[in-house]
Amino acid sequence: MSTRIPKRPAAFCALGVTLAVGATGCGAGAKTAAKSATSVTCGFSAPKQSTTVNVLAYNSSAIDPFTNTMVKSCSHDGVTLKHDPIDFGGQVQKTVATLSGSKGSYDIIETYGFVIPEYASTKKLMPLDGLFKKYAAKYKLNAINKNMRTAMTYDGKLYGLPMQAQVFVMAYRKDIFKKLGLTPPTTFAELRTDAAKIQKSGGVKYPIALPLLASNDITYSYQSALNSLGAHYVDPKTKKPNFDTPQGRKAFKALMSLKPYMSPDVTTFDQPKVQQQMYNGSAAIAIMYSGRMSDLTQKSNTKYADKFGFAAPPTVAGGKYEYNNLSVDGWSIPTNTSLSKDMLFQMISSAVSEKASKSALPAAYPARDGVVTDSSMPYAAAANNAIKHALPADTHTYVSKISNDTRAVVGSVFLGKTSIAAGVKKMQQIAEKDVAASQ
Amino acid sequence: MTIDVATPPVDQHPQTAVRKSGPDRRRGKGWLIGGFLFIICLAMLSPILWTAASVTKPTNVAFLNPPVFFYHPTFQSFVDLWQTTDFYRYLINTLIIAVISTAAALIIGVPAAYGLSRFRGWTSAILLILALIFRSLPRFSIVLPMYDLSKTLGVYDTRFAMVVALVAINQPFSIWLLRNFFAEIPQELDEAALLDGCSRFQVLRRIMLPLMGPGILTAGIFMFLFAFQEYLTALILTDVNAKTVPVFIATQLGQTLPMLQQAGAAAMLLTLPVIAFAFIAQRYLVAGLNSGSVKG
Amino acid sequence: MRRREYVALVLPSVLVMFGLLVVPLYRTIEWSLQKVTYGSPGSFAGVSNYTSALTDPRFGRAVVFTVGLTVVATAILVVGGYILACMVNALRRTRPLVLGVLLISYVLPQIVGATMFSWLFDTNFGGVAEYLLHVVTGQEVHWFTSAWPNRIILVLNVVWAALPFAMLMIMAGLQGVSNDMIEAAEIDGVSRIQLHWHVIIPSIKAIVGFVALISIMDILRVFDQLIPLSPQAVQLGNESITLYIYNVAFQNGGQNLGLGSAVNVLLMVIIMIMLSPFIIGLLREARKP
Repeated sequence: MSTRIPKRPAAFCALGVTLAVGATGCGAGAKTAAKSATSVTCGFSAPKQSTTVNVLAYNSSAIDPFTNTMVKSCSHDGVTLKHDPIDFGGQVQKTVATLSGSKGSYDIIETYGFVIPEYASTKKLMPLDGLFKKYAAKYKLNAINKNMRTAMTYDGKLYGLPMQAQVFVMAYRKDIFKKLGLTPPTTFAELRTDAAKIQKSGGVKYPIALPLLASNDITYSYQSALNSLGAHYVDPKTKKPNFDTPQGRKAFKALMSLKPYMSPDVTTFDQPKVQQQMYNGSAAIAIMYSGRMSDLTQKSNTKYADKFGFAAPPTVAGGKYEYNNLSVDGWSIPTNTSLSKDMLFQMISSAVSEKASKSALPAAYPARDGVVTDSSMPYAAAANNAIKHALPADTHTYVSKISNDTRAVVGSVFLGKTSIAAGVKKMQQIAEKDVAASQ
Repeated sequence: MTIDVATPPVDQHPQTAVRKSGPDRRRGKGWLIGGFLFIICLAMLSPILWTAASVTKPTNVAFLNPPVFFYHPTFQSFVDLWQTTDFYRYLINTLIIAVISTAAALIIGVPAAYGLSRFRGWTSAILLILALIFRSLPRFSIVLPMYDLSKTLGVYDTRFAMVVALVAINQPFSIWLLRNFFAEIPQELDEAALLDGCSRFQVLRRIMLPLMGPGILTAGIFMFLFAFQEYLTALILTDVNAKTVPVFIATQLGQTLPMLQQAGAAAMLLTLPVIAFAFIAQRYLVAGLNSGSVKG
Repeated sequence: MRRREYVALVLPSVLVMFGLLVVPLYRTIEWSLQKVTYGSPGSFAGVSNYTSALTDPRFGRAVVFTVGLTVVATAILVVGGYILACMVNALRRTRPLVLGVLLISYVLPQIVGATMFSWLFDTNFGGVAEYLLHVVTGQEVHWFTSAWPNRIILVLNVVWAALPFAMLMIMAGLQGVSNDMIEAAEIDGVSRIQLHWHVIIPSIKAIVGFVALISIMDILRVFDQLIPLSPQAVQLGNESITLYIYNVAFQNGGQNLGLGSAVNVLLMVIIMIMLSPFIIGLLREARKP
């Protein structure tokens, strides 16, 4: 083999660039987000051998403050908390995976009201009542809003420690609204007229952006429309599903009536993409969870940061309930963790302490009473209003099952591939099977 | 078509070029082809160039649509990536897994390839055909049982499991490649040494290995490359501890700013060494691909 | 070489391949005949998984899509690889540079490459290619929600990643073409096109066949690229067979592991069918003295 070292300017150039860019890595891992987070009391008796606690929680500016506080405050005395960044879809997947075996990868899991019934009923999550009573005084747990605790309760037992409430909030471009003399819509009809005016003025081609990701979010949006018409997935008394009903059909019609004003790509929009639409000025009105609102006000994310206004979402057809979905996010302990449940509970308690909750403003709406005032965050008034006008959540186990099983049909109807009549009939059948299976 | 291992094929004799650059009237055609090639190179590089642009833009214009083409470059997303995530850990995982699995694959594969190249007979052909078949298997048909097994054995989410999986998955290709290189070394050398009283293993160690330097290096480069590129196996077999960079990038696809831009930075940090690698190791990659071909 | 030596040399490798490839393969076949989930023994279910798979329209769509993608991409790879190989072969001083640049897409991890590729077309992430297309043609194409545009970018990405390989293999073949043959043909006064079609291509038939074979083998198993480029794969009918297996056998905690394993076996059968001409060729070669 010839031994001359080839003079490959391109190769060494690439190597040089690599090293230069790699130099940005000085201090890798040094100033992790957790290290700059708030520090609170997290007093537990550490086990004798060094322990690693793995935390599963998706990233969002609303969840991160709680996660980071927990990681920073509770890593001491040989105990290290590890949290890897992960998007929401990844968290859903990993939750299923880690809870399905006899030994899981994660010791603390971020959960939300929607998944509690399913995992609680299958005993994958630990009931927290005993530990709650034990540490109520130490961490002032009784100040955590009672209704939100109920949202994470199943069969009378608490399965998640609430950290924040998430409710749909409508974000809109104040400057565009002002220019066209519009006011935040209170019904879908008004939403359509506002959007039409914006479209006609030539400013924004697709003014409305909703999270309608066909593989996930679309069912929450459909459910919100249904709730706004006063109906749950399943009537709690008669146990009959509400899809093949006037409300079920109307919910579809309402969502689809917005199609002319939404990007044809809307079925690929998860919440980060809806945010990006607003960042780019590609949309002027967005309705999604409150935890995603604070990002819109950051100058580092968008040049429109100071131009967003917030309001409660509109109702579908007038009436008491808004197009909304009230969710409570919290921390749960899986039954298949091998670590001390006592220690883990103290960790999650410290993460929802008063100091931690206050530091989560304005990105999150903490579940602790007395922390949120109307001036806490730009969307506080909107969120408070929305919470008052959201249909209370349904905590039966069949809700999440129906949501997963009907997702493909919902997408198909929305995309126009299936007629509404045929679609709701199919969803009705699926729901009836799921309700029967859960009895 | 055998390739003399001693001469890098890239710098092969110019006379074998199909199109001879001939008289001046062909010069114009040369420019046309050159221009065409330039466009193709640009097109092939475009995703990387665009990502490089996106991650050096300030966050609030990084993903703007319509896109901006003039901006103040900044490396902030790289700094944030290193400092706010455990990226360095994933990078180390990826490198360790790639290096160890490459070493292990070679230690096992080189003797096997030597044996296959010298022992003529139907078993060799069968083994080679089996190697081809194994290389073509659907990845999940192997990895899902490995997932089950690793969970049972308690080695799930360890670098060890990944190394073992990669050694096994890439064995067929490495044996095939190495065997082709070995086959080009004349058997007379073996026989002469054997006559002199060497044992078969001594022949391998003292005579074959030095001659096989480039071949082994080529196979090693391919093993490293495959391990480095692996996503599916890592997706299934790793979780928190042994996570590799491709898996990390995939978990960031649904993030919002600024983490999404950091994912792009991670992609660039993976790409730049790979680009340097492509230039430096070019001749070995070419040699390997040539030698892995059918004997015409 | 004596048999004893041969066995000693080959044994570790055979053990590794047997233990870690054959045994998992056996497990997959076992699972395909069961109703089973991870970590627990399954219950025998006969061929019900196979009948479910074969009667599931989603599986049918996956097969049609995957085979279609494979055929189209392989054709483009062979033709494009040949053209590129001819062009690069004619370079002299700049060849290492051009080769280096062209190799980049081959050495990148496919998922990273596909992510970068998707950012060219996704208006939510800049989407410069879509933007330029829009500026030039005034058309708005939805690359991620329309089936055929999505297929186009998938084909483009698959070709982008595999083109360097095809080009290099064919280039090696070109370098082996006998000069005498070319000179004889040129003396006979054949045109350029005829030179390629009648002289060069037939003599590198084996290499081209090999490139086609490897491409078919790899593209039938496509998975990584679909994650960033086709998040709506299921809805668009752009799910590959491997993605279908992942969705069915792993996503929800492996509820349908039996069905997924059956599809694995079916995919193996499809691949074997496509490999058989080549295996027969190898066997024939081996029988020669």
